[in-house]
Amino acid sequence: MAQLLEIRDLSVHFRTEDGLVHAVSHVDFDLGEGEVLGVVDESGSGKSQTWLAVMGLLAQNGYATGSVKLHGRELLGLSPSQLSHMRGVQLAMIFQDPMTALNPYLTIGRQMTEVLQWHQKMRRSDAEARAIKALEAVHISDAGSRLKTYPHEFSGGMRQRVMIAMNMLAEPEILICDEPTTALDVTVQAQILALLNELRERFGTAIVFITHDLGVIAQIAERVAVLYGGRMMEQADVYTLFEDYRHPYTEGLLRSVPRMDEDRTERLLTIPGNPPNLAMLPKGCPFSPRCAYVEARCQQQMPELEVIAPGHVRACFHAGELGRQETGA
Amino acid sequence: MMEQADKLLEVTDLKVHFTLPGGGWSRNKQILRAVDGVSFSVAPGDTLGIVGESGCGKSTLARALLCLVPVTSGSIKFKGQELTTLDDAAMRGIRRNAQIIFQDPLASLDPRMTVGNIITEPMRALMPELSRTQRHERVLAMMQQVGLLPSHINRYAHEFSGGQAQRIGIARALVVEPALVVCDEPVSSLDVSIKSQVINLLQNLQAERGLTYLFIAHDLTSVRHIAQRVVVLYLGRVMEVADRDTIYRQPRHPYTQMLIAAVPIPDPRVAREHKVSAVRGELPSPLKPPSGCAFRTRCPWAIERCAMERPELRVIENSQVACHRAEESLGSKLSG
Repeated sequence: MAQLLEIRDLSVHFRTEDGLVHAVSHVDFDLGEGEVLGVVDESGSGKSQTWLAVMGLLAQNGYATGSVKLHGRELLGLSPSQLSHMRGVQLAMIFQDPMTALNPYLTIGRQMTEVLQWHQKMRRSDAEARAIKALEAVHISDAGSRLKTYPHEFSGGMRQRVMIAMNMLAEPEILICDEPTTALDVTVQAQILALLNELRERFGTAIVFITHDLGVIAQIAERVAVLYGGRMMEQADVYTLFEDYRHPYTEGLLRSVPRMDEDRTERLLTIPGNPPNLAMLPKGCPFSPRCAYVEARCQQQMPELEVIAPGHVRACFHAGELGRQETGA
Repeated sequence: MMEQADKLLEVTDLKVHFTLPGGGWSRNKQILRAVDGVSFSVAPGDTLGIVGESGCGKSTLARALLCLVPVTSGSIKFKGQELTTLDDAAMRGIRRNAQIIFQDPLASLDPRMTVGNIITEPMRALMPELSRTQRHERVLAMMQQVGLLPSHINRYAHEFSGGQAQRIGIARALVVEPALVVCDEPVSSLDVSIKSQVINLLQNLQAERGLTYLFIAHDLTSVRHIAQRVVVLYLGRVMEVADRDTIYRQPRHPYTQMLIAAVPIPDPRVAREHKVSAVRGELPSPLKPPSGCAFRTRCPWAIERCAMERPELRVIENSQVACHRAEESLGSKLSG
């Protein structure tokens, strides 16, 4: 698999009234061609910010340091016009709530053809033909007449399909999906996941899938990065991560997912405490206040990422076995 | 089956229809049948789960049970008392006994009120006999029970994370000591690790206080841990009712089977074997539900009869199922 995206030592900071907030600290990611990377993170952990930084879409008060290379070309520091030539063609992103990402005043057709007319200088009729093809690829029936409709005329699942179709128009190399199914019903989620898998097989698109749902990760990802408080906790291929995880946070997440395929337990296992507040992260490991294996040094110092096996890294001081998670209310 | 006297809440053929203006100059009003002939009952101390996709009428049902939306027809009996005909003053007495927890904790808490005021307010309205000090004591006791610190009392809701805000919502609902609590998707918007915390908290409180829950959710996973009985709704109609273990082991309605198959399994090996998507089609518009069985347009086993005749809920072994072909156990091929 050829290397597509290489992120090194990326940090994202925000200047706020309460001082500098470190949303993401020193993370590394690699993405190969056609690969699906799952990114797991608790809400409020700045999981979207890494990828907004890659897209050059950070808010005004935010800035990124480190390096993001696409085909060896540095993306951080590109001018807005250079970035907008790259977005849509090489990198595309879909968001959690399709309604806020679509313009309610413009027809679906207008919003879809805009990309092609702008990036590829296509004529309108050609662009429309492409848009119809893209809608058909995401299984929207009667695509021709759908072009004349407005976003509110679609259901939530259909809107997300439109978003996917729109992002696939220019056949980008990387599709970043920021919790695309969190707001949807499980039935619709299953359909969207199947669709993403299908598109990936057809077009060879690499996918970054951001979610806090490990069930979704198990279905779609090949490699998984687990973050907490903007820091990398563990990264491995999907089978290793589910079967031979080595980080207490991964363990806690896996054990607190209610499962349908196993016998019901009376009590759900949980991770005690609350999600991290990025403005008030503890000095050492951000997970230390909630960790069942916490040691004195965890509160003082962030553990370095160590390589456990080829392709499997973790950041944790705990040396012994896992399996001490408790239930709590 | 339960005896008549054992029921805390009994709903019979409940209908909530909304009239919408027709499009353009059309004088034809459209009728949205949000809840269309729903019946069930809950015994004291039990938890009844109500499951369905968005748009199936589950939130309307929750609001109708507390008379927060007008009921079109049917009966709601709470402790044997008919609620649909009560006037506002009499309803006030009921509210002390029946409370609700909402889906979005931050949206349902007043941003300008402190946590203490939020939890005190239901007591001011519904328990005027309490003195100021008694109310304060109750607030502190309640906060402790839901896992909030006494120092949180003067903070505002936006200072809390989603999971903690939901604890405030739970405290507000329980402080007047209701018998019935309607939980309208209380954990849907929470993170996985926090979701289980809140479900465990609700279970603890139920055990301590003998509460009865109506637990509404859009997926079957969280309901499985808390409910003894489960009602599956589709387009305002009941598709299946069964005990928890029955419905998960042997779902009889094709829709229940589809809901179960749609839940992602957190195990990459199992998940990848299940590659064929079991979910078909989209939820039809509730303004134009399909003729006959509401689910037939997405059902893999639909036959001509399903379009002609609306299936009634009937008893098959331990379940109640609204499906013409329920006896054929077609789904065993599907749910595997």
